[in-house]
Amino acid sequence: MDFLVSSFASALRLIGSFSPDVVDAVGTSLAVSAGATVFAALFGIPLGVLVGLSDFPLKRLVVTLLNTLMAVPTVVVGLVVYGILSRQGPLGVLGLLFTPTAIVIGGTLLAAPIVANYALASVRGADPRIVPTALTLGAGRFLAVGTLIGEIRFGILAAVIAGFGRVVSEVGVAMMLGGNIRGYTRTMTTAIALETSKGEFAFGMALGIILMMVALLVNLFLNLLQKR
Amino acid sequence: MYRLNSIRKCYGSNVALDIEELTIAEGRLYTLTGANGAGKSTLLSILAFLLPPTSGEIFYAGNRVDWNPGSVEEYRRKVTLLHQSPYLFGGTVYDNVAFGLKARGVQGEAQQRRVDKALDGVGLQGFRDRKARELSGGEAQRVAMARALVLEPEVLLLDEPLANIDRETTGVIETVIASLPAQGTTVVLITHDPEQPDRLNGVSILLEGGKVAMPHPPGRR
Repeated sequence: MDFLVSSFASALRLIGSFSPDVVDAVGTSLAVSAGATVFAALFGIPLGVLVGLSDFPLKRLVVTLLNTLMAVPTVVVGLVVYGILSRQGPLGVLGLLFTPTAIVIGGTLLAAPIVANYALASVRGADPRIVPTALTLGAGRFLAVGTLIGEIRFGILAAVIAGFGRVVSEVGVAMMLGGNIRGYTRTMTTAIALETSKGEFAFGMALGIILMMVALLVNLFLNLLQKR
Repeated sequence: MYRLNSIRKCYGSNVALDIEELTIAEGRLYTLTGANGAGKSTLLSILAFLLPPTSGEIFYAGNRVDWNPGSVEEYRRKVTLLHQSPYLFGGTVYDNVAFGLKARGVQGEAQQRRVDKALDGVGLQGFRDRKARELSGGEAQRVAMARALVLEPEVLLLDEPLANIDRETTGVIETVIASLPAQGTTVVLITHDPEQPDRLNGVSILLEGGKVAMPHPPGRR
């Protein structure tokens, strides 16, 4: 018990002293998560809205596929992207493996299905009169869909936040594609894994506290949006 | 204004609408009556160019409607449909009434003038900055009416606009509706009120099982 208490106290001191290693890991984590979330939103929101509004023969299959992709283990995504970005892979010449860009690519693949599913659920839950009302008032198809997105904006924002939550808290993709390089690709989660295995429990705990605070803030914000 | 030839709308094996021939003249008011499931709302959605028929031809102002997305969009800008339970967008009353004007590129002072005039027309002066979602049912119905009228549509289609609203609002809206044909607007209105066709001095169209049972009874204009 003393070990936990003293580690917790050390962790708080590390956070309070703005340890460069802690700041680096937090900065890298937030940067790659934000980048991945932006790309996931760019792919996921239009995909979710399109699937939600359209009727096509294989719609049920597409929805099932999107649901399945939400549950894909992060290491599997890491493995696939590793294969693509490694020197022998089709995009190996780009030299992206073990860079923040590689983590962003993997994070995008992790978050996009979540964003798409949340957006799809928002469209399904939207008032069915929104699009016909916009159309009968003279809106074109794009304006009508834009109006729908505006009306369900809190659901769409929740989709983006859920995507961010997925990326910031994962470890598999960041470890396999980033390589956990100190000051470059080391994120909060990979640093926790590494430092704890080295016996630097307080350091891991400091990052764990910050990660929990980020997750808590994300979920509080998500909860707030869902109530609106 | 409209000419419908052999219009059928089917949902699977169910025939919702089966109209051999129907003409709707410009600048007239029509009341559409019939039991639930008679096809009234389906007909209104087709007239609003929101729902293509399964088969048959529709002519609007003499032109055959081909239901291409581009041309349908053009027709929709001439026709406005007002639902029984209209949806008001988030934002203010002004945002709602100005929606169609913005879609048509009407901006600035012209937009404000037309919105104010439309709100005056339905007795909602001073409501422009109110939040649309905080209005009563009758006020919301009047905002929806202003939102439709501000566009000065060639045709106004009304799906039971007076259901579920108070007597005062009914009077205001009926007065507005009755004045529209004199301004050249064609009106088609669904109603379950047996006295409304007479009050509005309209031509009654009775639908039964998706078919027109009484298109233009004698004695009515």
